[in-house]
Amino acid sequence: MKRIFIDPGKCDGCMNCSLACMNAHRAAPVPGTAPDPGATVEEQSVYTLDLTDPTNEARNFIHADGKGGYLPLFCRHCARPECVSSCMSGALQRDQAAGQVRYDPEKCAACFMCVMNCPYGLPKPDQLTRSKVVKCDFCVRLAAGPSCVRACPTGALWIEEVAADTPDLEDVK
Amino acid sequence: MNQKFSCTTCRNADAPLGAFIADLPMETAHHRMESQSVKCGFGLQGVCCRLCANGPCRITPKAPRGVCGANADTIVTRNFLRAVASGSGCYIHIVENTALNLKNTALALSAHGGELKGLNALNRLGEIFGITAADPNKKAVAVAEAVLADLHKPEYEKMELVERLAYPMRYKRWRELGILPGGAKGEVFHGVVKCSTNLSSDPVDMLLACLRLGISTGIYGLTLTNLLNDVLLGEPELRFAPVGLRVIDPDYINIMITGHQHSMFVHLQDRLTDPDVKALAVKAGAKGFKLVGCTCVGQDLQLRGAHYTEVFDGHAGNNYTSEAILATGAIDAVLSEFNCTLPGIEPICDALRIKQICIDPVAKKANAELKEFRFADRERLSTEIIEEVVEAYKARRHKVKLRLCAGHGNDNTLTGVSEVSLKKFLGGNWQPLIDLIVAGKIKGVAGVVGCSNLTAGGHDVLSVDLTKELIARDILVLTAGCSSGGIENCGLMTPEAADLAGPGLKDVCKKLGIPPVLNFGPCLAIGRLEIVATELAEALDVDLPQLPLVLSAAQWLEEQALADGAFALALGLPLHLGLPPFVTGSPLACKVLCEDMKQLTGGQVIINPDAKATADILEDIISEKRTALGI
Repeated sequence: MKRIFIDPGKCDGCMNCSLACMNAHRAAPVPGTAPDPGATVEEQSVYTLDLTDPTNEARNFIHADGKGGYLPLFCRHCARPECVSSCMSGALQRDQAAGQVRYDPEKCAACFMCVMNCPYGLPKPDQLTRSKVVKCDFCVRLAAGPSCVRACPTGALWIEEVAADTPDLEDVK
Repeated sequence: MNQKFSCTTCRNADAPLGAFIADLPMETAHHRMESQSVKCGFGLQGVCCRLCANGPCRITPKAPRGVCGANADTIVTRNFLRAVASGSGCYIHIVENTALNLKNTALALSAHGGELKGLNALNRLGEIFGITAADPNKKAVAVAEAVLADLHKPEYEKMELVERLAYPMRYKRWRELGILPGGAKGEVFHGVVKCSTNLSSDPVDMLLACLRLGISTGIYGLTLTNLLNDVLLGEPELRFAPVGLRVIDPDYINIMITGHQHSMFVHLQDRLTDPDVKALAVKAGAKGFKLVGCTCVGQDLQLRGAHYTEVFDGHAGNNYTSEAILATGAIDAVLSEFNCTLPGIEPICDALRIKQICIDPVAKKANAELKEFRFADRERLSTEIIEEVVEAYKARRHKVKLRLCAGHGNDNTLTGVSEVSLKKFLGGNWQPLIDLIVAGKIKGVAGVVGCSNLTAGGHDVLSVDLTKELIARDILVLTAGCSSGGIENCGLMTPEAADLAGPGLKDVCKKLGIPPVLNFGPCLAIGRLEIVATELAEALDVDLPQLPLVLSAAQWLEEQALADGAFALALGLPLHLGLPPFVTGSPLACKVLCEDMKQLTGGQVIINPDAKATADILEDIISEKRTALGI
């Protein structure tokens, strides 16, 4: 299984990962409309991403660490995920083979216990409707893999193949 | 064994050049594209502001305003105006130097006797300016002084020559919009003040300031620089010439020239063919000296090449070809006076022991020796430059391995096209071209201008692909800028390229023996395209936006191109850009540039990275304009 690794020491706070995340999860363009006519989600240009539209939310967060550095916060897809343990509706499930925590908005009751319980503070209620959770999906739709990793210019993010039983936390350097 | 630097060079419209660069043992911009492929999304959209210590501020849905309160529209248009003002400053610097060189040359000729090379061009300018001096040298001084006087006016005094040079219908519209420019240098000053920290926050006001800068840039920086150069250096004459890396002859001491200011080379250029100077080359083991054209000043020499066939070898390539030209090993010195002299040539010059000399301090390269051009010192400077280049040749040639590319380019590119030479070719007036457009043999005219960048598909990729699409649709293409260098090296300016044109245009080209793409030379010659457009509009008694004429700066690179673009919009022309000019973060800026501009000036920006889709859009615009004209 694949896991996103993070080296906070290399993060310059450019937030390219956040933009890439927003771009990967924006609404698909209406076919034939400018300026990305007929583009697939993967092809949509960041040029046309509306940076003032609150529906374009990032699933990752860059926080200042208060000491001149940055703390990149990304869903860990934990081996023992607190979000899944606290989910009463079954909307959050861990795919053990892929090592990814999946979210099904159809099943979600919007109780936000996952939001309360995540030790990293990552799942968020969506900003506009507060009726679902916004959470990393590892860009499973995209052949090239997680957009955040591809967008990182400093090498603070990368992907490694790890054993399925790899414990949590070791992946933050 | 030849050690390749890496296997990851960017795409290239010019396959032999791409293969040559991919095989090089040294790094070029084409290699660096890979390591710079991740871009900052805020920067791309123009919503990163670092005008104050609270910055950089970036616009996101959770942070729709910077610390100061500026929203995306303000941040984008401030950044845009700053770029346009800088770009305008570059062109105004060029025209100021050119006018000064013309004035000094004419004064020297008055004192010592002698004649300017372009008397027709001088008379034409004299007529436009209303300067009637009988003595050509006195007339040239008066012409140059009139230009300089306008450039040096404050921003609050309107420049006087605008009304004489602009098409009356345009002038009227500009006056109505309140965008007639004051002194060109003052406009640049005004522009950079306007967009500084916590000054203007009005996006529309800043975009209108861009249009003012566009007018001063276009009329002075572009149009007048050409015409003043024509007086100094001779007018372009149609001829076929070799282009590409093949023009480099290793038997000579070769000087690659880069920049935009041909008038600074006049003295040196003439000296290089004098017997005493040639003797220095022969003594060093070479046959003589050659200037190898690169970037826009190379295009300028090519354009006027009929006047100095002996010293000028031909145009080797555009901005992103410069590293390859040097990598041949056969260049002994780089003489630069402006952009686009890429910093990336410096390590190559070091490795291949190529002497770098810079003659204008605004373009001082880190490795170059600065020999600032002053007209009064021209003889001493030329002598020193020649001595240093000969020394470089002697020190390097036996040590450096040549890596020529004799098959690159072609031998029969049509060059020397100008508003004068083309009209002369057509029989002294534009009627034959108008007839062809009316008859539909030629549907319309497209100017494919500007630079090459490596991002819009790769080196020259979008410019060349778009040009092919346009000519296939019977749209005549005129070029000016580094686009000319790429398109000519790809063979589209040879008569044989007529086979790539649609049936109507092909037929015209075959009958006349011309290519479907006409090369007006450097980016400065966008000013010549404007004259062609104006004269066509005049012949039809319509305004410029009514003409079936479109522009594309498909691979615009730099701030100067944005100032050119502002001129195109002020002229009321549709302007295609392959990449957005860092404005998409502002819905307002996009709306004004792409939509509302049609009501303001008649112009519009079209942003599209795809050649075929763009050609469809431009063809539709041309069809609409034809219908509106009733043809």
